[in-house]
Amino acid sequence: MAKRSQRKKRRPVPVPVASMGDIAFLLIIFFLVCSEVSKEPEVELTSPRSSHVEKVEATVAARVAVDATGQIYLDGQRVNSAKDVEWGVRAMLANTVADDQRHVQFKCDAALPKETFEPVLQAIAEGGGIIEAVGELEE
Amino acid sequence: MRKKYSKEKKHRDGEIPTGSFSDIAFLLIIYFLVATTLMKVKTITADLPSGEKAAQAQSEKTPIVNLRGAEIFFNDKPLDIKDLEARLAALELAGKEPSQRVIMLESARGTPYENYFKALAVISANGGVVALVEEEQ
Repeated sequence: MAKRSQRKKRRPVPVPVASMGDIAFLLIIFFLVCSEVSKEPEVELTSPRSSHVEKVEATVAARVAVDATGQIYLDGQRVNSAKDVEWGVRAMLANTVADDQRHVQFKCDAALPKETFEPVLQAIAEGGGIIEAVGELEE
Repeated sequence: MRKKYSKEKKHRDGEIPTGSFSDIAFLLIIYFLVATTLMKVKTITADLPSGEKAAQAQSEKTPIVNLRGAEIFFNDKPLDIKDLEARLAALELAGKEPSQRVIMLESARGTPYENYFKALAVISANGGVVALVEEEQ
């Protein structure tokens, strides 16, 4: 028996690669459909810290940011005032039916004074948004 | 001359070379994987009531958090952020109705967002509904 196994010839096994292209293109289509184009504005800011922050699972309807110089951004576009944020958020949430669709991400520089950020927070609330204030976890 | 040539042109069965398609596709996949950022930010959730009436309707017994620069006051008594958390936890807001969970948040001019965020986080974590107090103009 041992002799027989020693004589056994190793045949080259062809790997079927014909469908690899199809699989790969299907994966690409999957990634394209599932991916979301980032609307994060490139703003310079230092996030505040708290031990109560947690990863958010909800999809945000809009993104509002206030940078270190006090400039306000709505979905990456610079706006002139908090009133513009209110109208923008109101328009974005016009067709929403559930609370889950009302989440608005809010990023703000930690050092900014109340006079700068509070009107923006109030504008989001007036526009109907649930505020998701971004921060870092305090160790 | 040109017309004649085009008429005589033979139609050949040209095969499209598809051998390298899989390589191209996998290169594209690698590009997408490298370029994609799977980033989930950490946040606190605050559903602020909108409108002036919402704030006016609250009774005088509604707890109020005052931020004056780096100082924190809870019902006009100074404390630090840990004490504030303990006081809010003692109120057991999570089990109450939304109208009974309102915590007023007032801040003085110049209060930095860092302190505001910490107070907002503590109130939200303890089940409070934050109502911002606006300055009278």
